[in-house]
Amino acid sequence: MSIINYASREIQFKVVYYGPALCGKTTNLNYIHQRITPQNRGDLISLATAADRTLFFDFLPLNAVVIKGFVTKFQLYTVPGQVIYNATRQLVLRSVDGVVFVADSQWEKMEENVESFKNLADNLAQQNVSIDEVPCVLQYNKRDLPNIAPINYMEYVLNNGKKRLQSFEVISSTGQNVFASLNAVSQTLLHKFSKQDDAPQRAPAPVATPIESPLGRPHSAPV
Amino acid sequence: MNAIPVLTIEDVAAVDGVLEDFLRKTEADLTVVIDRGGNVISQFGDMDVTDVTVVAALAAGSFAATRELARRIGELEFNALYHQGNGTHIFMNSVDEDTIMTTVFGRGTTVGLVRFYSAAAAQRLAEILKSLRHKSPTLKLAPVSSATVFADR
Repeated sequence: MSIINYASREIQFKVVYYGPALCGKTTNLNYIHQRITPQNRGDLISLATAADRTLFFDFLPLNAVVIKGFVTKFQLYTVPGQVIYNATRQLVLRSVDGVVFVADSQWEKMEENVESFKNLADNLAQQNVSIDEVPCVLQYNKRDLPNIAPINYMEYVLNNGKKRLQSFEVISSTGQNVFASLNAVSQTLLHKFSKQDDAPQRAPAPVATPIESPLGRPHSAPV
Repeated sequence: MNAIPVLTIEDVAAVDGVLEDFLRKTEADLTVVIDRGGNVISQFGDMDVTDVTVVAALAAGSFAATRELARRIGELEFNALYHQGNGTHIFMNSVDEDTIMTTVFGRGTTVGLVRFYSAAAAQRLAEILKSLRHKSPTLKLAPVSSATVFADR
């Protein structure tokens, strides 16, 4: 849950990167940490095992000025994706404001993606929060690998809730669409927060945003 | 979770008054009040000691992680945790079911003194925070900028 502090002129938001094991959540945070202006970020903290698997969480604090007169602090967390660490995921999800769900595009990971998305909904429900109420975007990651499912199929299995979520084709190892998805979840939660959602909203993209060109622009119109 | 959505200047002054009194009595370096989700509610003391945002995230995680350990010995949770370093230490104590107080201190004081005064400080904080949770926020913020929030260099 966000906190507005009128004394320090700060607003805090918590964004959690969620998804199955080895889907690229930590890679997202590593890329953001490397590429964002150092003045706008703190240290990247990783509580990982010796084999670099996330044990508890990764944490990256970011600052932005998007509401006049306030420093907006976004605190990015990842959860451990391995099934056995569900208690840890519940702890990290506590008071979450926004979610980036990172799905692995490889065919053999599709069952784990669905399982993890259901687990996200269940863990939010335990906090009496419906997944439809939380600002959430989908990442279809690892689009550079050969054995990947088509976007339409991933939309069919993952983006089939009451509310269509914004989705992005991502290659987190090279950073493609990593910032686009971070900005999308940030804007969605800021608009929800500032109660501008009363105004007519732009319809979410029906299918994934295509991978950006090296110049940072989409190389083609959405499929 | 009973969140505190808005902290006014007066609210922060009330919380800081308790923290200032606590630091003066204990001669600790820094104390931070956080919610269990890892958000900073207020802080007081020497901010150069550490990055408060990171400490808040890790302290909330540390407190939560030991909860299961407490359950194994028949406790709901541990009321306080102490991490002893070579020269600098951290003491964390529960304020209420949603809030934790984290204190960083060095050789200038002792864990006994910090622990002793933290109980009274936590009680005063709990009363203030309880009143804040029952307050309905009516403040409206300026519109959000539609510009890109974060830029890739």
